[in-house]
Amino acid sequence: MDTALEGLRVLDLSGPMGNYSGKLFADMGADVILVEPPQGTALRREPPFIGSVAGTERSLNFACQNTSKRGICLDLETASGQRLLRELTATADLVIETAPPGWMDARGIGHAALSRVRPQLVMASITPFGQTGPYADMQATDLVGLAMGGLLYMGGYHDAAPTQAHGNQAYMCAAMYGAVAAMLAVTEAEATGQGQHVDISMQEAVTLALENAAQTFDLEGVVRKRPLAEQRFAGYGLFECKDGYIYLGSRGIGNSPAWSRSLQWFKDEHMEGVDRLFGPEWADLAYLKSPEARDVFGELFMRWARQHTKAWLYSEGQKRLIPLAPVSTPADLLENPQLKARGHFVAFTHPLLKAAALMPGAPYVMSGTPWRVHRPAPALGQHTAEVLGELGIGAQDLSRLVSMGAAA
Amino acid sequence: MSDRKLPLAGLRVADFCWIGAGSYTTKIFGDMGADVIKIESSTRLDSLRLAGPYKDGKPGFNRSGYFADRNTSKRGITIDMKHPRALGVIKRLIAQSDIVANNFAAGVMEKFGLSFEDCAKIKPDIIYLAMSMQGSQGPQRDFRGTGSSIAALTGIQYLSGMPGRVPAGTGTNYPDHLPNPCHAAFALLAALRYRRRTGKGQFIDFAQTEPMLSLMGPTFLDLTVNGNLQDRRGNDHPWAAPHGVYPAKGTDRWIAITVMDDAQWSAFVDVASTCHAGLDPASTVEWAKDPRWQIMPARYAAREELNKRIAAFTATQDAHELMAKLQAQGVPAGAVQDARDVTRSDPQLAHRNHWVRLPHAEMGESLYNALPFRFSHTPVRPTRPAPLLGEHTREILSGMLALSDKEIDELEAEQVLK
Repeated sequence: MDTALEGLRVLDLSGPMGNYSGKLFADMGADVILVEPPQGTALRREPPFIGSVAGTERSLNFACQNTSKRGICLDLETASGQRLLRELTATADLVIETAPPGWMDARGIGHAALSRVRPQLVMASITPFGQTGPYADMQATDLVGLAMGGLLYMGGYHDAAPTQAHGNQAYMCAAMYGAVAAMLAVTEAEATGQGQHVDISMQEAVTLALENAAQTFDLEGVVRKRPLAEQRFAGYGLFECKDGYIYLGSRGIGNSPAWSRSLQWFKDEHMEGVDRLFGPEWADLAYLKSPEARDVFGELFMRWARQHTKAWLYSEGQKRLIPLAPVSTPADLLENPQLKARGHFVAFTHPLLKAAALMPGAPYVMSGTPWRVHRPAPALGQHTAEVLGELGIGAQDLSRLVSMGAAA
Repeated sequence: MSDRKLPLAGLRVADFCWIGAGSYTTKIFGDMGADVIKIESSTRLDSLRLAGPYKDGKPGFNRSGYFADRNTSKRGITIDMKHPRALGVIKRLIAQSDIVANNFAAGVMEKFGLSFEDCAKIKPDIIYLAMSMQGSQGPQRDFRGTGSSIAALTGIQYLSGMPGRVPAGTGTNYPDHLPNPCHAAFALLAALRYRRRTGKGQFIDFAQTEPMLSLMGPTFLDLTVNGNLQDRRGNDHPWAAPHGVYPAKGTDRWIAITVMDDAQWSAFVDVASTCHAGLDPASTVEWAKDPRWQIMPARYAAREELNKRIAAFTATQDAHELMAKLQAQGVPAGAVQDARDVTRSDPQLAHRNHWVRLPHAEMGESLYNALPFRFSHTPVRPTRPAPLLGEHTREILSGMLALSDKEIDELEAEQVLK
């Protein structure tokens, strides 16, 4: 089977802000070599763990963000480790790294040094705030990235502290744009023979998630805040049902087809008190935004919806062309018939597991060059001998390097 | 800097994308030098043209800042694809394009006579991106929705917010803004590389639900391997404390503080003790020196109490000042910045020239996002503001498509170019 990124060699030196970037390359067929320090890359210490017990080879977080990669272990604090990296880079197209600004240069493995050997080399450096500037040396976790990029402020409840997005999304924003930026520079390098250094900022990546908030302040002078209520206006928002929540997007705008279809639906279902939703005031957007309209709609709708499941409301609503969706839990998604039909979840295998489990699969279905997991994530140092062997380093040299602590 | 051409110079995109995720995908291509031709119709406007904010708060389909930001560096034409003569014009455009992109509901492009197979007949090596909500195959491919439906459907809504309260999500249609645009752009760039090497195009069937799931791999594996169904956890971290969002001085001002090891904790306590000098005794941090707070597992176990105690202290502090003091001692902390902070006062985003002001015929100078990366040798910034509705119709039809003025006048008279 053809792969889109065959023949591209990527060295992934990164941590939680970059391993997903490397995965995007690896699952599309690039030869991605994860280069880990002797204690292993940071994600190996992040939960969830198999059986909820920590261990270098037990992190599921590590395992799913490092699929399709080979893994070697180099100590880049040693001169020999740095030399091995330089030799390896002479065969590479892209280095992805997330060290603090200046760390790579200080060890003679920054872009300037490496590209002398390999002019087409692209280096994608992903950091919390960027390589230079007043905040370049600041520390950031995922939560700090969300905060400084402006997304955190918008999430949560108007009467409480802002709440984070699930799943380290600031890291993911950095990793996603890291991959896009790296691929753009590789595209250029393949055409011109000239690589370049790419500087990706997590904070800046998060600002791309602000929807219209930056422009709302710029054009109208209004700072967008967390929503006042789960129902933004009557008929639009989250509602409780029998087994969880659904999102209903009837928009409530009098003449919108979804609104009239919703009313027809409620009528056909003999929803108690439905008559209250008919009347001229419901055509007025200002009324729909009023607490009264939201209360009336919410009370009538939820009294009825609490008798029905997410799945039923979703399928019946969709039959009537109403934009209604379940607020899915991870368990719901594993059973989602559409995802099942598309074969979205794929087998996750791991040496410590007797049977395969399911994990999310292709983020895109490509007819000519399908996404696939080429191999499970590597054990620490699993391919050191193999990869260094490809550089012509034999068993004897390797055992010397290992005893020196340069490789493992 | 600008000693090189932009990476995608010479590439052309026939862009049927509208609204959120699709337009943010093709913005990446436009900003990086591709000739992106946005194909619109006044008979069915891109709904972002009718979504605020508007210049001076005054609605108008050429005045939306939301639309403008997503459509930088594109040229725009209007054509009514329901008109029988439209297809002929569009075929000429596709014949000169490398990529056809759309994020219509599944089946819409087929109705126009522009399925992947149709386009491949016109341009055999075409790369065709179809980003419908749930993909072009499957029993629920025709289910409808918007970015809010996608946030709900994919679990990011359910999993974000406080336990025991209604799911809060991110307060935005997050999958529209990065997960879908970035994955779609990556897929296109990968497909372009394959085409350079083999001469073959391909069809990218993109469901706007799937990238979000891909980003939550650990959450799903916790369930499928460990049987652990994750739920909302507010601002808690799986093992670190304090890790939270704490009140700061002012109205609705907050600071995120994340103490990731015991050394950072002692740095936090030092900073807090210094800040506290001369303040209300109720906000004293003497308690923090007690042995019970010195070890991570102990702090984590009592994090609810810990968070309350820290909040009493932070409420007396300015968020940015406290951030600077904590950062100086190596504690990861960040002011919770709002739209004013990030656009007007953040010195780092200013240093990176993130916000770009571009002149627009109706909006004057307004604010656009640059892409969030910098290249050492090529500039990264939008090359032009969003197109007015139909701004480049005549330019593209007479130039690239080589139609005569007479032919264009006829098309106009027949209401094709609406």
